[in-house]
Amino acid sequence: MDRAAASAPPSHSSHDRRAHWLIALGALGLAGVLAYGAMSIPSDAGYAGIGPNFLPWVVAAVLAACGVWLLWEAFTGGFRQLEEPSGADRGDWSAFAWVSAGVLANAALITTAGFVLSCALCFALAVRGLRVSEGKPGGGLRQAVIDATTGILIAAPVYWLFTKLLAINLPGLTGTGWI
Amino acid sequence: MLETWTQLMGGFATAISPINLLWAFVGCAVGTAIGVLPGLGPAVTVAMLLPITSQVEPTASMIFFAGIYYGAMYGGSTTSILLNTPGETGTMVTALEGFKMARSGRAGAALATAAIGSFVAGTIATVLVTLFAPIVAEHAVKLGPPEYFLLMVLAFLTVSAVLGKSTLRGLTALFVGLGAGLIGMDQISGQVRYTGGIPEFMDGIEVVLIAVGLFAVGEVLYNAMYEGRSVSELNRLNKVHMTGTEWRRSWPAWLRGTALGFPFGTIPAGGSEIPTFLSYATEKKLAKPEHKAEFGQKGAIEGVAGPEAANNSAVTATLVPLLTLGIPTSVTAAILLSALQNYGIQAGPQLFETSSKMVWALIASLYIGNVMLLILNLPMVGLWVKLLKIPRPQLYAGILIFATVGVYGMRQSSFDLFVMYGIGLLGLLMRRYDFPVAPVIVGMILGPLAEAQLRNAMSIGEGRWGVFLDRPASVFLLVVVMLVLLLPRLVRLWQGRRGDGTAVV
Repeated sequence: MDRAAASAPPSHSSHDRRAHWLIALGALGLAGVLAYGAMSIPSDAGYAGIGPNFLPWVVAAVLAACGVWLLWEAFTGGFRQLEEPSGADRGDWSAFAWVSAGVLANAALITTAGFVLSCALCFALAVRGLRVSEGKPGGGLRQAVIDATTGILIAAPVYWLFTKLLAINLPGLTGTGWI
Repeated sequence: MLETWTQLMGGFATAISPINLLWAFVGCAVGTAIGVLPGLGPAVTVAMLLPITSQVEPTASMIFFAGIYYGAMYGGSTTSILLNTPGETGTMVTALEGFKMARSGRAGAALATAAIGSFVAGTIATVLVTLFAPIVAEHAVKLGPPEYFLLMVLAFLTVSAVLGKSTLRGLTALFVGLGAGLIGMDQISGQVRYTGGIPEFMDGIEVVLIAVGLFAVGEVLYNAMYEGRSVSELNRLNKVHMTGTEWRRSWPAWLRGTALGFPFGTIPAGGSEIPTFLSYATEKKLAKPEHKAEFGQKGAIEGVAGPEAANNSAVTATLVPLLTLGIPTSVTAAILLSALQNYGIQAGPQLFETSSKMVWALIASLYIGNVMLLILNLPMVGLWVKLLKIPRPQLYAGILIFATVGVYGMRQSSFDLFVMYGIGLLGLLMRRYDFPVAPVIVGMILGPLAEAQLRNAMSIGEGRWGVFLDRPASVFLLVVVMLVLLLPRLVRLWQGRRGDGTAVV
């Protein structure tokens, strides 16, 4: 579709090139892990001639080949036929940190604080990050309270819907099933 | 023929029970909503809702999930027309002309042709599914493991190597997915692989985890990092109606779009993107000279009508290979397949025998759902447009709450939430460096099935690879696989030799 991008020689900033490298190495590393794991799978093949370790080896080999090829591309000017990613050139790391903190805090707290409160915290942190990414101020305590309340107002009905109506197990702070 | 009719009527009897009607309606409404909302697609929504498979009976949940799937196509067009970011990938082309039409004050006509076109296409496609699915199932019984394996290889190749821009990145994504699918107990021998001693991994990695991590968490992270300053403008909505000329210009485009979309839905070609692009190109070519100038300028109604019909037709058609062969041709279909697996239902030709009640209720619900969606999306479109006013931070942060429900609800493990974050990081990288995500999901779900077929095939051949050449059907499929692999390259080579370096693939 994008003729210009496809035919022009790849031009990437040094920043991107480093990422291409790392991605290629990541694919190779994954191939290595899969191959290492495949060594301990028995090859008991039966009639088929190929056993449970056949596909693991194929996947490891092809991934390794892809990794080498990616590495070669990264070395010789970067990935080919790369679609220009949408959005800004440089990532907003503080926004990233806020959202990550939200998701990870939720993972750490959900069993103790319960679904509703834990998700509200996740929501408040993520909203703050996303707001920061728009160049707006994160807001003070007042804003934080508003965000947390919004989070509760979304999470609580979701919690009730899934636990009461659909009988799906989600952790609560109390045993009442309401919070 | 008569038998089909009786079966279909039986399906309607099941589908119009109040509880199933309610599921269909909720599915259509949720589908429309997530179609309208940028950032959430039908695949990840169905994935997030997979935990309900432990509580809700199969017929109801399949009706519900299918409603989400095609409802998203209706809703997606609304966003494509009113906002300059498409709601769904399948409605990307709609944005080309639809947004321009809305700009020049014809938003209402664009929305009308999209909704009615979706209805016409969805209904015709459902009729085709009704007629052809039983026939395909009847013939599919004759296929053996070699043919199934090759069909699955075909699905892998088209979704990874043919569709994206870079075959290399597509294949890398596919094999990452296949690798994820290896985790757990091997289907044939019961051998445990790659669990690292973690008992939770015995049953394999949950699809919810991968899909939600890649699509939802990855998308939220990407948005926070890169899209903060991207501005989107909302077009004004006006009265949803079409003039006589617009009707006359729309209906041939609807029919052509339907005809283009259906075959593409039935073959493993990655869903609805290709037919919508083809339909757009066709409409542009066939437009009357006096309307041709509108393309890309004021916005041509044919350019909305055709692709919208094509994507709905393709989406409905994906049910044919899914139900009759157990082969998903799109990401959402792959997740529907894993929903069936959660119930222990084997999709495939036997499905029309063993679960005929469910299958026919599902098909009947498509007819009903299309009517519901027409009502939801024409007179009530103003309601959905309000969803577009949700501020971006709140919308994306809210997605995280739903992601938590899906992932935690599936297995009640907070460890999974950490894994989800890790997969989200992978999704962020893939999005940034243009790796397609669909092959990961399809590889993960279809990989174990393909492996089982391969090993069964090899057992039949007693360890001979020649088993793939023993039957005409498998030889034919082998040739098709080769063609799919080689043809695009040969075309590129040929064009390159002609000095025309800009091959469009």
